Amino acid sequence: MRFESQRVAWWFFATCMLLFTLQLVYGFILGFAHAGYDGLHDVIPFHTARATHTNLLVMWLLCGFMGAAYFIIPDECDRELYWPGLAKLQLAALVVVGVTAIIGFHFNWWEGRKFLEIPRPLDYLVVVDVLMFIANIGMTVWKGRRLTTTSMVLFFGLLMAALLYLPGMIPTDNQTIDSYWRWWVVHLWVEGVWELIMGGILSYLLIKLTGVDREVVEKWLYVIVGFTFLSGILGTGHHYYFIGTPRYWLLVGGLFSALEPLAFLGMAIYAISMAKRGGRRHPNKIALSWTVGCAVMSFVGAGFLGFAHTLPQVNLYTHGTLVTAMHGHMAFWGAYAMLVLAIMAYAVPLMTGRHLHASPASTFAFWTSNIGMIAMTLAFAVAGITQVVLERRVGMDFITVQKEIEVHFWGLILAAGLFTAGILAQLWVFVRSGLPVGDLVSGAREGEDGYGAG
Amino acid sequence: MLSRSQARTFFLVGTAACTFAFVGLTVDTFGQLPSRTNASAITPEVARGKQLWDENNCMGCHTLFGEGAYYAPELTRVYERRGEYFIRAMLVDPAAMYPGERKMQRYDFSIEDQDALIAFFRWAGTVDLNGFPATPNLMPLAVGDGVAATGGRPQLFNTMCLACHAMDGQGGQIGPALDGVGGRLDAVYLRRWLENPTAVKADSRMPVLPLSDAQIDELVAFLSQQKD
Ligand code: HEM
Ligand code: HEM
Ligand SMILES: [Fe+2]
Repeated sequence: MRFESQRVAWWFFATCMLLFTLQLVYGFILGFAHAGYDGLHDVIPFHTARATHTNLLVMWLLCGFMGAAYFIIPDECDRELYWPGLAKLQLAALVVVGVTAIIGFHFNWWEGRKFLEIPRPLDYLVVVDVLMFIANIGMTVWKGRRLTTTSMVLFFGLLMAALLYLPGMIPTDNQTIDSYWRWWVVHLWVEGVWELIMGGILSYLLIKLTGVDREVVEKWLYVIVGFTFLSGILGTGHHYYFIGTPRYWLLVGGLFSALEPLAFLGMAIYAISMAKRGGRRHPNKIALSWTVGCAVMSFVGAGFLGFAHTLPQVNLYTHGTLVTAMHGHMAFWGAYAMLVLAIMAYAVPLMTGRHLHASPASTFAFWTSNIGMIAMTLAFAVAGITQVVLERRVGMDFITVQKEIEVHFWGLILAAGLFTAGILAQLWVFVRSGLPVGDLVSGAREGEDGYGAG
Repeated sequence: MLSRSQARTFFLVGTAACTFAFVGLTVDTFGQLPSRTNASAITPEVARGKQLWDENNCMGCHTLFGEGAYYAPELTRVYERRGEYFIRAMLVDPAAMYPGERKMQRYDFSIEDQDALIAFFRWAGTVDLNGFPATPNLMPLAVGDGVAATGGRPQLFNTMCLACHAMDGQGGQIGPALDGVGGRLDAVYLRRWLENPTAVKADSRMPVLPLSDAQIDELVAFLSQQKD
């Protein structure tokens, strides 16, 4: 770490770990309710737990992206953040808005729009907050001493994520139009501009961790984000099959979304080959594991499992079943949760000066959480496929089928226990790493990141 | 081999072309939506229904057009499937309708709000969804598309009773199947039962259904004929 203002990222990461842990608590509430134990129904009914679970997810991921940007951008642009104080204020404001929203969910204050449940007045505050963030990052890039592709891709990813939040606020009385715009946020985020953010962060990490030439890394970055947009924009059509929009979306959405896995495949090949090429000489091996793991698991979760239900012939039966939840978990985990954990694994030791990356707890966290998530995905898959066959193909009643698949939710809960053990180990490593008080290093050359020679 | 500037050109041109096509398709879609979504039928009452749907985050448990959560049934065709009386009862006190089953929030909606939500569901059922929800097609027993409409049964039986009971392999499994019920129980018993199940059998979990006398007459006549 070379600049004082990069330290602010630690506070974003700390918020991440906190919100993530809370997200898991609500995940268990959902799992138990599906297994037939809804004892909390009167206090935290299912829809409250669900809105909290998914919004905490989105919130901690955004927090992680912001932290990543505050850490990476000064390093890439070779200068302090333009407004270091604003970054702290912006985090505090974000936390206040987020916590207010979560509390609101427990008192029936929300919008019933999946993933965008935050009530309208708070939406505006989110926009203001994100504008502060974008301005800060933008000014740092603008006044920076060098302009790298990595920082540009990261910056434009974040800027467009902010702009794409706006269509989600267009008011309408028509449920179809409501959904239409909602997907401009949800889909164009996770299968569009967030992939830019992902590409930016991964290429930063690969440059740092493998020592492969920047020129090479950044060229492939363009190719990958090129594929992302080529497939992902029109791929939005896979949400426009059955909501009242014209029939041609079956063709357009099916064709282009079927190409989306290519971008993820590209990401995986890119990370693996860079890691091979650079040799694994960097001392922080666990950060490289998270980096390559992110690229690989995002291909499995988003690419492979996304493809599994993206063709309209399949989606007609799986649309709105637990098959979707199966894909949602692995995709969010692989692409974005692991991404944030990767940048944290790299950056936290530099910020705190305590190098716990080689500790057994770090290794345990990586493997246990990944194995746990794979097992969770399998549990959702069995439940989902059973639901599709019995309810959608055979025509059995909804509730009857739900009872039939209750047992798979015990499987889910066991797997989630394993997953949670991994995440708690990660939390433990984070806490033990302490506050961001490490030394700055002055070397401006690539590779002199404060880890010393391996 | 590909150079960095070629890679950048690929990215910029590809993105611009796709964005352009996407915006074009969006414009065309909005041209078609008024007729495809039967938008002229979105009365203020329907709009109020959608507002209630949003304010209470119904999508946090149910799906509509296949979008939402996976904890409670898909509601796109609920008006056709369950009918007005059943929906009303659920909107006031769901636990009474599905006692001891997976719980729905109790809302105690006013009559106007019930009307609005019912109007909203009726509208939702008329939107052209390109064939969703699909007709179950694996087994011969599966009839219709989740909407029971066979057997010369009273409409009310299909919408209300089949929510918990089965007949001819169709319906729920919360109560016992009703095939041959007329051979087991006589008309007097059936009438008393429908008027108030727990008065006949104290530990029954079946609720007092919101039925008029004429509706009870119709159901008793039908059930009495089910001899085998
Ligand atoms: C990292 C990237 C991705 C993430 C985080 C992600 C996450 C999700 C989530 C959470 C949903 C549920 C949305 C809702 O119903 O509101 C969803 C739906 C869907 N995803 Fe993805 N996804 C990703 C990539 C992909 C890719 C690459 C494909 C296709 C190859 C894909 C195909 C689909 C389809 C077809 C649905 C609709 C399912 C339905 O009809 O119920 N996804 N995704
Ligand atoms: C303790 C671990 C977890 C458990 C037990 C759990 C359980 C669940 C359950 C039961 C649902 C609700 C499905 C429904 O609507 O019926 C759900 C939704 C969801 N969870 Fe989790 N979850 C856990 C962790 C996670 C993690 C780590 C992520 C992200 C990386 C995640 C992302 C999601 C998403 C995106 C949805 C919405 C899916 C959709 O709408 O298709 N969950 N979760
Ligand atoms: Fe999508």
